[in-house]
Amino acid sequence: MTDEISNEALVQRFPGEPITHDNAAHYRGRLRRQLLVNRCDSCGAWHAPAKPICPDCWSSRVTPTSVSGNGTIFMAIFLHQGPPAEGVDYSTPYPVVTVELQEQAGLRITSTVVGASNADITIGAPVRLEWQERAGSPMPVFALRSAANA
Amino acid sequence: MPDSRNPMKDRVAIAGASTTGFIAKNLERSQTSLAAEACVDVIRKSGIDRSEIDGICGSYPTAAVMQSTLGIPELTWSGNPFIPLVDHIATAAAAIHAGLCNVVLVYHAAYRVSWNTGSALKDPFRRISTPGLSDPHPGPETMASSAGYTGWASRYMHEYGVSREDFGLVAMNSRRNAAQNPGAALREPMTMDDYLAARMIRWPLCLLDMDVAVDGADAFILTTADRARDLPLPPVLINAAVLGQDRHNEEDQTVSLRQHGQQVVIETLKAKGDFWLDDIDLYYPYDGFTPITLNWIENAGWCEPGMGGKFLREHWDDASSRVLINGRIPMNTHGGSLSEGGTQGSGHIREAVHQLQGLAGDRQVAGARRALLTIGGFFFNAQGLMLHTG
Ligand SMILES: [Zn+2]
Repeated sequence: MTDEISNEALVQRFPGEPITHDNAAHYRGRLRRQLLVNRCDSCGAWHAPAKPICPDCWSSRVTPTSVSGNGTIFMAIFLHQGPPAEGVDYSTPYPVVTVELQEQAGLRITSTVVGASNADITIGAPVRLEWQERAGSPMPVFALRSAANA
Repeated sequence: MPDSRNPMKDRVAIAGASTTGFIAKNLERSQTSLAAEACVDVIRKSGIDRSEIDGICGSYPTAAVMQSTLGIPELTWSGNPFIPLVDHIATAAAAIHAGLCNVVLVYHAAYRVSWNTGSALKDPFRRISTPGLSDPHPGPETMASSAGYTGWASRYMHEYGVSREDFGLVAMNSRRNAAQNPGAALREPMTMDDYLAARMIRWPLCLLDMDVAVDGADAFILTTADRARDLPLPPVLINAAVLGQDRHNEEDQTVSLRQHGQQVVIETLKAKGDFWLDDIDLYYPYDGFTPITLNWIENAGWCEPGMGGKFLREHWDDASSRVLINGRIPMNTHGGSLSEGGTQGSGHIREAVHQLQGLAGDRQVAGARRALLTIGGFFFNAQGLMLHTG
């Protein structure tokens, strides 16, 4: 797309993130609040984090593709200390979760959970994608998904 | 599929091992200084002349710096592998077996780096020498590296319905063994109450679930089994070595607790080696993080998945307040990375060598002849080593 920002500007928007030619589309997607995960055009498998080829069939036709953002918590830890980050206050242990996405078994992404008390952030809990700002750029996060707001 | 070919089996020996001992504070010394102390000691004790060394293998400092520091005249081979230390032992042994060199000096300096400890951060020389110190941190929302072990610890507790006490048993065993090791960093007694009261770092793992950052170094001499038989110390033969990796080596993409590098290691050791659990006298599972140890115990086949804590309780020797498997096999006799210090596996190997040579002092296991070492984590650096006295 011609309206997308330059590589130089992209790196500026995500200081510290390990942006490469292989995952730049994922970060451009974040700027549009779109969570993109690489999917193989040949065999249909999803892969995270981004790789330049499909590890299953070696096709180089991999396309950054939107995921629903729905999944369940697979691992959950609570940081009592950690690196400084905007909006993160470790006085209440900060949750970090790996979410297994509904698109494919074993396809997981790691972020945090917002708007929930730590006692409710448990392995197996269903979640949905949300976005929050981190240093002026959108960051994918998760919210607990109850029957009411699923 | 594991390959049973092992032409190197028992053809290469560890002829000697030395250590500076480890301390959980910021010694006013460089890595080169620490490594040099261990290297000079191991060269002397192994009974070789430095001019015989034609291979050098270590991570930092480089082989070239180590060679010039020690005044070693000529090399025909060097290697700078990544940690943990079975990388170094296996690479050096392969080079000897292939005829690239005959006598290899392997060294490893553990070093408190500036992004790890506050005291190291205050040392301007350490700030300069610490790689990546000024790199931006990726942020809190990651399961990479040590956070990944914490994530899988949460998964372990969830899948098997066990509590943090199971992790605590690993730490208690290491601490009790360290009490017998004058070179260990942490030697004071530790109870389960101490463990449960320790400062939480990333739930479910606390300070005592993680290896202790230390200064110190280990060094080894490797040569052919034939050459080693002429040297003063008893040769320790390398029966099998493996560096195991699974395809899914990003920590949060790892398939499950039952599919990662450890399974590759165990199956390969069984295929290549000559002895197994019933035949060993010493067991060294890695303990850089307590859940790694429980996984190693289970994957090695000592017990069923999820039963690692139960196994440790059943094999706990009340008289010595530590694990004695089947009443006789101790686990991490030096105190492991949790209490001797975070040596990235070199401590486990050096201790096994010393035990097999009868040089382990107060903690010597009488008549120890065979050791199984399952070192490294499980995502991308699981490793195994089988050593024996022939
Ligand atoms: Zn494919």
